[in-house]
Amino acid sequence: MKVLFYGRLAEAIAPELEVDARPGCSVAELRTMLAAEHPEAGPVLRSKRVRTCVGHAFVPDDYRLATADTVEFLSPVSGG
Amino acid sequence: MSIVAHLEQASLRPEQELAALVAQASGDGAVVSFVGLARAESKSGGPVERLILEHHSILTQQSLNEIAVAAGERFDVSHVRVVHRCGEIAPGEPIVFAGAAARHRRAAFDAADYLMDRLKTEAVFWKREVGEAGSAWIEPTAADHADRERWS
Repeated sequence: MKVLFYGRLAEAIAPELEVDARPGCSVAELRTMLAAEHPEAGPVLRSKRVRTCVGHAFVPDDYRLATADTVEFLSPVSGG
Repeated sequence: MSIVAHLEQASLRPEQELAALVAQASGDGAVVSFVGLARAESKSGGPVERLILEHHSILTQQSLNEIAVAAGERFDVSHVRVVHRCGEIAPGEPIVFAGAAARHRRAAFDAADYLMDRLKTEAVFWKREVGEAGSAWIEPTAADHADRERWS
């Protein structure tokens, strides 16, 4: 499963990772797995302000992921 | 009703955006606009060399569209115009233009206020200040989120 990170998460982890996640795992489970592998980014990964996209659409934490999905984690955003 | 939501890669000219909005507003009674500028001083008080606004190839434009359309639907306005910079911005340079035209001033003021509260917390940008001490991510404050909640 391809995982993309933006903002401070891209800086802390990497802009892009290939992750060996169980098919059907939830976004919340993927967050927990990534936080365990990258403890320095754990607090940000677990934050409700970090939103998740699949196919450029926002998805909730209980969304079930397929192996072919590209998952995007958006660090807290700020315009203006 | 017209909506402009534009992601600007190179340079933002607020006077041109205001002129375009005023030209569109024929027959209306009010135009309200806001221009956000890159600050020269960081929160910690040090000088800022430049601001970097990273964006997403699809989601950033989507977020600008969604916010501008929502302002047009929520308030009794005839035109909404949002232009937002991305990339490297020097202190003093404009980051964002948000404006609205309406028959009466209150709707135009409210629409501009709403646009900025949502842009601050929901526009898909990742903002970094670069200075002598390195770079620091800038994220919405509790006050920014409270401002956004006023419209919920």
